[in-house]
Formats: sequence, structure tokens, C-alpha cells
Amino acid sequence: MGGPLELQSKVLSSSLCTGCGACTSICPYLNAVEGRAVLLEPCGREEGRCYLFCPRTEVNLPHLERRTFGALRTDPVLGFHSSVLKARAAREEVRGRAQYGGTVSSLLLHALREGKVDSVVLTGSSDGVYPEPTAARTEEEVLRCARSRYLLSPSVGEVVRLLRKEEGGRMAFVGTPCQVLALRKIQAYEEEWEVSRVELVVGLFCTWALSHRAGEFLRTKLGGRRVRRFDIPPPPANLFVAETEDGRVELPLDEVRSFIPPSCRVCFDMTAELADLSVGMVEGEEGWNTVILRSERGRELFEEASRRGEVETAPLERERLEHLREASLMKKKRSEEERERLGARYLKEV
Amino acid sequence: MKDPLNVLVVGVGGQGNLLASLLIGSAATEEGFQVSVGETYGATQRGGSVMSHLRLSRRRAYSPLMPEGRGDVLLGFEPVETLRALGTYGNPGIRVMVNPRPVYPLEVLSGQTKYPEVEKVLEAIRELSKEVVVVEATELAKEAGDARMQNVVMVGCLAASGWLPLRPESFRKVVVELFGENSPNLRALELGMAGGRR
Amino acid sequence: MSRIGLDRPGKRLLLSGNEGIARGALEAGVQVCSGYPGNPASEVVEALLEASKEFDLYVEWSTNEMVALEVAGAAAATGLRALTAMKNLGVDVCSDFLMTVNLSGTRGGLVLVTGDDPAAHSTTTELDTRNYARLADVPLLEPSTPQEAKEMTKWAFELSEELGLLCMVRSVTRLSHSRGVVELGPLHRERRKPEFAAPPPWTSGSSTFTCMFHDMLHQKMRTAAEKFETSPFNRYEGPENPDLLLLTSGPSYTYSAEAVELLGLQDSVGILKLGTTWPLPEELLFKHLSHAGGVLFVEEIDPFLEQNVKALAAEFASRGLGPLNFYGKKSGHIPAVGELNTELVLRALSGLRGVSYSPRPPEYASRGEELVSGYVPGRSMAFCPGCPHRASFWVMKRALKWDGREAVVTGDIGCYSMGLLPTGFSVEQTLHCMGAGIGTACGFGKLERFGFDRPVVSVSGDSTFYHACIPALLNAKWNSSNLLHVVLDNSTTGMTGHQPHPGSGVTASGEPSAPIRVEDLCRGIGVEVRVCDPFEVDEATRTLQEMLKGKGPRVLVLRHPCPLTEGEKRKRRPRVHVNQEKCIGEECGCMAFCSRVLGCPANIWDYPKNKAKIDEVLCTGCGLCAKLCPAGAIVVEEGG
Repeated sequence: MGGPLELQSKVLSSSLCTGCGACTSICPYLNAVEGRAVLLEPCGREEGRCYLFCPRTEVNLPHLERRTFGALRTDPVLGFHSSVLKARAAREEVRGRAQYGGTVSSLLLHALREGKVDSVVLTGSSDGVYPEPTAARTEEEVLRCARSRYLLSPSVGEVVRLLRKEEGGRMAFVGTPCQVLALRKIQAYEEEWEVSRVELVVGLFCTWALSHRAGEFLRTKLGGRRVRRFDIPPPPANLFVAETEDGRVELPLDEVRSFIPPSCRVCFDMTAELADLSVGMVEGEEGWNTVILRSERGRELFEEASRRGEVETAPLERERLEHLREASLMKKKRSEEERERLGARYLKEV
Repeated sequence: MKDPLNVLVVGVGGQGNLLASLLIGSAATEEGFQVSVGETYGATQRGGSVMSHLRLSRRRAYSPLMPEGRGDVLLGFEPVETLRALGTYGNPGIRVMVNPRPVYPLEVLSGQTKYPEVEKVLEAIRELSKEVVVVEATELAKEAGDARMQNVVMVGCLAASGWLPLRPESFRKVVVELFGENSPNLRALELGMAGGRR
Repeated sequence: MSRIGLDRPGKRLLLSGNEGIARGALEAGVQVCSGYPGNPASEVVEALLEASKEFDLYVEWSTNEMVALEVAGAAAATGLRALTAMKNLGVDVCSDFLMTVNLSGTRGGLVLVTGDDPAAHSTTTELDTRNYARLADVPLLEPSTPQEAKEMTKWAFELSEELGLLCMVRSVTRLSHSRGVVELGPLHRERRKPEFAAPPPWTSGSSTFTCMFHDMLHQKMRTAAEKFETSPFNRYEGPENPDLLLLTSGPSYTYSAEAVELLGLQDSVGILKLGTTWPLPEELLFKHLSHAGGVLFVEEIDPFLEQNVKALAAEFASRGLGPLNFYGKKSGHIPAVGELNTELVLRALSGLRGVSYSPRPPEYASRGEELVSGYVPGRSMAFCPGCPHRASFWVMKRALKWDGREAVVTGDIGCYSMGLLPTGFSVEQTLHCMGAGIGTACGFGKLERFGFDRPVVSVSGDSTFYHACIPALLNAKWNSSNLLHVVLDNSTTGMTGHQPHPGSGVTASGEPSAPIRVEDLCRGIGVEVRVCDPFEVDEATRTLQEMLKGKGPRVLVLRHPCPLTEGEKRKRRPRVHVNQEKCIGEECGCMAFCSRVLGCPANIWDYPKNKAKIDEVLCTGCGLCAKLCPAGAIVVEEGG
């Protein structure tokens, strides 16, 4: 347990802030500045939500898993899940606007249409570079936010804002593993807000993200062209590709990687292990997503959407599953080394 | 009358000490006294403690600051400021008229220290004074149209108290000269005078 | 009609020392008055300003004291009577001209009124301007009461004219801002016609001419000394051969007289009150020193009388003045710093005379002390409710934190000097004199080559900007110093009582005058400048943070009017109140942010409910707390 002083010393001063917005959206003493939290002055409390909710302070994974799934994981690499498979949006126009297979958009549209949720908190971007947390309520609003953002987004802050203002109704949330972790901490520890209003949490696979400073770099490199989609083609290309309104721009991946913040290097979670279901790309196959079904709620939604023909599914090939497990394990190992190096012992091992 | 008669007006920057001491001083000048009025203002007008010293004499112009322990009458716009002034200028013969409405200092607002219970402060003031009159001047000033005129209300109370060798008429004259016949200040003065007699 | 212009000789009025000085000037027929606002001298100019229409005076607030003295000096050179008034530090600013106009002289009476500030109530130094009288070799008068302030000022004009030399009148805060009964004298309404006759040129010359003028100055001062021997402003009271002689000037005289009276020492202690303190009346001093058993100097700030009289006493030894004990600042009987009062003189006297003094029963005093220390909290200065500086410093604090590098923030002179204190979130780190904020920033901003890579921010108010920041801004541009200058523009000279300045659009007397905007000035010299309203907290913070990243000189104007100006006070105030249902008090996510952090005196606390509350008597309705309340619990009702 801790308050702003501990947050400062354990997270902010080691640049481990993920910029999720969990603390800055509720506190006048913490401001979100260029993708990170800045403490103006300690409020004087010894314990506070800022520390409690932060995805880079102590994580009691077993507690969060029991709370989310009613049980502990049996798979140490991919986390609690019931199945892993391939899926894609059945509708062509959804796939056309999506990063890979459009599964996330399809599921969200389904949830909204069926009245399972009233709004969806996700991250859009008007220039294609800088992230903008958005509470979407319509099909068009959801589709406008489709495709991956590479910069850290304060989208948890948006959920918190809605919870506090008693707005947003029943919500779905789409986020990266660190954002999902923050959200699960909020749901586990917050006593006053109606946290159960976040009915569905969709996790996105994530190996790393880019700090806010990368935005300036990209904008300069792209010369103000609006970005439609960023992508990293499979190795050995070693490229970071921006598809812009005026064509394709290739950047050396290593240059872009220099903007990976320290907070990503300590992250143990590639597949958003606390989400209701997690979605990512399929290595080496355009137009499809890998889906990990985790909670009962996640599975139900997915199956219903599939029954209604919103998503098409296919089994995930064995070698692809192995590849996924390998990647996840690799991230865990790197994280452990980095945490060891920094002395950042925030994770209670499972 | 004790000569010189030493009158203190204390409050917080912004409460209108200056006008209060000008009214009392002018009334005394009107009645032929030698008057010295010392003001502690300048930067202290920004929310700090402020104090006016008035010295009335038939003999000569005294210094604008009374010596410690020699106050005869104290007009206090704020309870802890009144007590603070008593600590320095009080003596067993002093008479005090006080507005009990606190103005919280930064130290209290910032949580470094607590503002004491007003009743306790008034008790302390009573212990250190020969006579104490508590005047809800801010409330009376609201009746006159503006809570900020508590200073004029307090002067009115003092004028009617008989503690000063000055006629209430002289105060009226001074207020009319400064603000005219129909000013809310005159109303505040009259309300204070009535309140002082209550 | 103005108060000080009352045409009723013999009428007794309660006037401040400053008003007394102004009345004295009217009685002397002053025609031109200038000054720059500064505690404790501002009200001299303000009082004359009030009387300017009925007496056909020209009164101006000048951009700084240097120009002010030059304006008055020019008028006096044409034969008019002219006065300029300034605070102690103002004399530093105008000293260049002072050190030459003493040589070039004057035709009409030229009076320089200086307001010293013992204890530095509202100044950053205890500078004793009497030293300037000695340095410039000009006559110096020191009044002790408002009545004397009037008489001496009037006489200063006559003396100045007779000698052809500027004459100084030195006041101190305790006199300038105290009131006393002043008996009015006849007004002088005759208007002179200015004439500037050449030759001889009006100059302090150079080489042999300067020496000639210097010699003439000494001659003038000898004449002044002769006149001072018989001046009624020097008075003795006490026995013919006192055991102890108190030598005193200014308000210290009133403390001395009261101390002697309280101790009942009238038969053994005498007081020589000097009103003319430079040049010293040597014969008068010889006479009184010869009769005294010992001497105690009672004066404020520097040992001016003490040192100069001691030097004279060495000369007097050859005339038979015996060994004398001198007491004062050097002996430690009188404090060498701070303001004097009756207690301090009582303490010195009771020590020297072996008498005791106790104004009240000791049990009462100790009980009083006990109750005060038990109940009375400290009360430090704070920005007024509604003050735009509170918003500006919150903006600065945030932007500097956002920036994350440890910026150097240099402060300047004005209400915003309190940026050093908790009320300004302790954002500022330096404070000296007018213009020193940006001046020192020029220096900090050039240290990068030696490895000093902290951003440099300087702060000034608008009036201070016009007064002393422009040369430093030019310097920063010329030498490309890395600094961000923040002008806290409250559209007035707030600290000294809301005098207009070059940006106001009006002159001192209310004549319209095209406003000189800070941003226009900056653009004119090619300095990047932006303007924000500090109450638009987020926008202002973002702008400041962005500008911090720049190089070379940059200027950000944070503009919002002071709520205490007459115009602003007349506006209808929105009513602000707290919705206590929504207020989360001291819970996580607030922790009494409005009252505890913002520190506005109107953001008080409802202790029984442990919720925020607004003191509606103090609140000006600025709405800053409502904007920053994390729970949205503070409501502003427009048009309240």
C-alpha cells in the first residue's frame, strides 16, 4: 500500500508510468503530461487510489484472477483461458477499416447493437498518431477508432472519468495489457464507484508501445501526412510502416524502437491476461486475428457473435499457437530481467 | 479621561481598518483633541494582521504607536486578532469590543494548524479585559446592505458605547462628510449605534 | 474638492504624513509634481493629483523615478516650484540625475521627498536615503509629525529657491502612513510662468567647470548650515544641564518624548530634536553637547546623526568640549536595524538611567502570552481573494512541474513578490529590486556553455515591466539570453494602490493616452510573445510549458485585471457556493484541495461537516476554485 510519495519514488521517478490515466483523471495533484503522470505535490495522504490503481505498483495476480475468472490460471504463459482460435469480421466493410481481421470491432458492434453495453471506451486518433481516448456509442464512432495506436493512451482515465461522473452506462473497454491491468485493479479495489458497470474488457496483444515523444518523431518523419494505419511487417523486414493518405512510408524499426518507454520493458503481459477475451494478430497471415477466450462472459459474447454470423472463426494452427506462447514467454523473461535490474518488484508471482 | 487615551483597531488586511481608524480619528479631531493614528499597512494589507493605533490627548501629539501594555479600548474585527493584540497591548483595565466572525489564516486553511473554537477565544479575551462586548457586526452589516461594512458597524457600536470621550453626533458628521447623507455607510453606522446600545 | 486643498487657514484636519507633505507643497505654490508609486511615498503624489484640477497643477506618474526627478528638475529649472516623491529605493534609481542636478542647481524650488522604510515593511531593503543627502551634498529636512511634514515641505521650497539647490525631505513609513492633526495655513495660488533662460547652460559641466560648480555647491551648503542654526525645526526640551541628552530626528522624537515622560525623567534628561539634519547645525550642537553629561542617539536605520555628530565632537574638543559618553547604535543601546518605538527607547533609557518600567502587572503579561501562544495561529500574507496572481502562480507551478527540469525562477517587485511564499506556491526563488528579475535572468540564461542547463524564467508585473525591465529585455534579445519572461499583467500598479502606467490607456490625471502594450513592445523588438488569461488555467499552462522549450528571449503575458481596482469592484460579482453533496472533502482525489492548496482566504472549511465552504463576504467570484475543484462541487452563479 502507498500514496503519492511511494508512487513518485517507485513508479514516476523510474519512468515506469504507462500513462494509462488511472491516477491523473481522479486527482488534482497528478496531471497527465505528454503521456505520463506528473505529481505536482503530494496531497498528504499515506494511501490513495493513485498507488492502488497503478499497473506498475504491486500486483496481486492471484487475487485479480480469482476475482475475474473465479479461478487461477493453469497456463502460466497465456494466462487463464478456455480456448485460443482464429477469427475475423464477417462483414467486409468492417475488415476493411480494421488493423487485421476486425474481430474487436465486430464484437463491440455486436455488444452495442444487442444492448449488452451502452458505450465503449477505446482509443481513436484524429491524426493517426496521437491517441485520443473516446467513449463510443454508435457503430460509426466505434469504427472510427478501429486500428492500432502505437502510442500509450490514457484511456483508463476516460473510464474512471465516466465512473465518477456516473456517465457512460454499461461499458465495454478495449485496451492494452497494462490498461487492462489498471482497470482490473480499479474493479478489485475501488469501493465507491459502480465498477461493475464495466461489463466487458477486451484486451489487445502488445509487445511494446511508444512513448509520447515518438509522436513528434513520427509527425516529423511523415511531414504532417495523416496516417491510416501503422504496421510492423514480419521479420526480417525490420521496418515500421505507415500507410498514409499520400502513400506508404517505411521507417527503420530500430529508430522507432528507441521510443519504447521503460514502462514497457518491465511488462510481463503480452496477451492481456486479465481481459475477458484477448485479441491480436496472426503471425504471417493477413486479415485474421488470434483470439484468446478467457472469462465466461468473454466466451459467451464471442460465441453469440459467431452464431449470429458477425465473426467467422477457424482453429489456430499448432505451430502458430506455439509461436504465440514463445512470444509471450519471451516477454515474461525480458520483463523479469528488467525488473531484477531496476529492483522493481511489483509483481507477485503466480 | 486618561490622557493620552489609547485606542486599538485590529483586524485582517481587507477588513477596513483604515476607514475605521479614520472615522474615529476624525471624530476626535472634530472635538478638538490632538490625535495621532498609526497604521500598520503596506504589504500587510494582503491578508496579514493589521492594526491601527489611535492616541487622543488634550496636551500634545503623541507618537503614532502606543507603548506595549497601554491600550485602553480595543476594537477587534476578528477574534484571534483581538486576542493577539491583547497579548501585546492589553492590561487589566482594557475594554474590548469584538466581532466574533473568524477570518481563517493561510496556516489554518493549509492544515498546518487549527483555528481555535471561537467561544474559547472569547473566554480568553474576557479573562484579559475589564469589559467585553461581542458584536455580530457582519450580520448587522448585511442588514445595512453589505457584509463588508462590518467595520463601520463596529465604529457605530463603539461610538454609542460611552467608552470614548466623543459624542455620537461627531461620528455621524464625519461619515456624512465622507460619504454623504444617503450612503449605506451611514446606515451601517446607525445600525451599529443601535446595536451598541442593545 | 480635494481634502488637502481646503482653503480654510486655521482649520484642523486629520492628515497623514504624506498628505501633510502634499498640503505643504500646495501652501508653497507647487506647480509640477511627479513620482513613481512606491510604499510609503505614493500618497504624496496621489494627494496632489486630487488637488491638481482646482490648483492647475501638472501631476504625473512617470515610468520610473529617474524620469520623475528629471521631469520635476526641468520644471524647476524654468523657475516653477516642483516636487517629486519616491520610496527609498527610488532614490537609487534617480541617483544619477541627483548627483548632477545638485551641481547644475535650480531656479524654482525643487523638493525631493523620500520615503524610507525602517523594518522594510514593504521594501526589500532598509536603505537610509539620508546618506544620499550627504553624498549629493543637498539640504535634508526630517519631519517628525504630519504637522511638521507640512511646515517643512513648505519651507523646503523656499530654502531650495533661495539656495538654488534641490532640497530633500525625508519621511519614513511611520510618518507617511500615520495621521495627525494638521493646522492648515494659507494656500498659495499665484502661478509662475516658466522661463528657460540661457546662458548659463543648465549642466553640471565637466572638468574645471564641474569643479567650479562643485565649489558653488559647497558655498550653498555653508549658507544652508547658517540658516539651520536658527531653524525652528530644531528644538530642545529639558533641563539646562541634562545628565543625558537624547539626540533625535523624525518620529523617533515622539518615541523619545513619551519614554522620558513615562519614566518621569524630565528633570534629568533633555531632548534635542533636529529637523535639519544635513548639513548639521554645528553651533547649536556645540551648545547642547557642552551642557550634556552624555548623549544617546535615537534615530532610525543608519547611525547618520551618530557618526556625523561624533565627527563634529572631535573638532569641538579643541574648543573645550570635554570627554562625552556617546550611546546609540554602536554601543548597542539602540537597535541598528528595524523600526524604533517607545519600548525600545524606554529600554535604552531605563538601562542608562537605572530606572525600571513595567506597564502592567507581570502576572497579566505572562497570562496574556500564555493565552496568545495557546490560541492564536500565525497569519502569513496571502494573495487577496480573486487575485489573478494566485491563478498565474498555479499555472507556473504546474507548467514547471510538467516541464520537469529544475527551472530557475527570478522574481521582482510587486504584489507578486509573494510568489516566494506559500501563497504563490513558492514558485519564485529570487527577489531584489525593480527589474532585477529579468536582469539576473539575462545572466542565468547565458551560463549554458559552462554546463548550467536549467531553464530560466523571470517574473515581473506590468508596471515593473515598464519601469525597469525593458533595458534588460533588449539586453536579452541583443545577447540572445535563454529566458522566458512572464509578465503578470493585472493592468494596474496593484501593490501601491492602483496607479495607472504606460499600458493603462490613461495618465495619472485620467487623460486618455494610447496604451503601450507589452506584447507590442516585444514584437517591436522581435521577441516572441504570447498572451493568455491565467484563469484559463489549462490553456495558460500548456502555453507556458510549450514556451519553456524555446530558446532565446521569450515573453508570456498572463493578463487578468486586479479585482480591487475601482472599475472591477463596481462589477457585479457572481455568487460562488459549494454543493456539499458533491464535495468529497478530505477524501482521496481532493484532500481539501481548494482551501488547503489554493490558499484563497475565501475558500474556508466547514469543520462540523468536513466539507468545503465559501466565505461569501470575502469571495470576489473569480471562479478559480470552481475551475479546479476535482469533484465539480463548487458552483458559480453568474450575475449572482
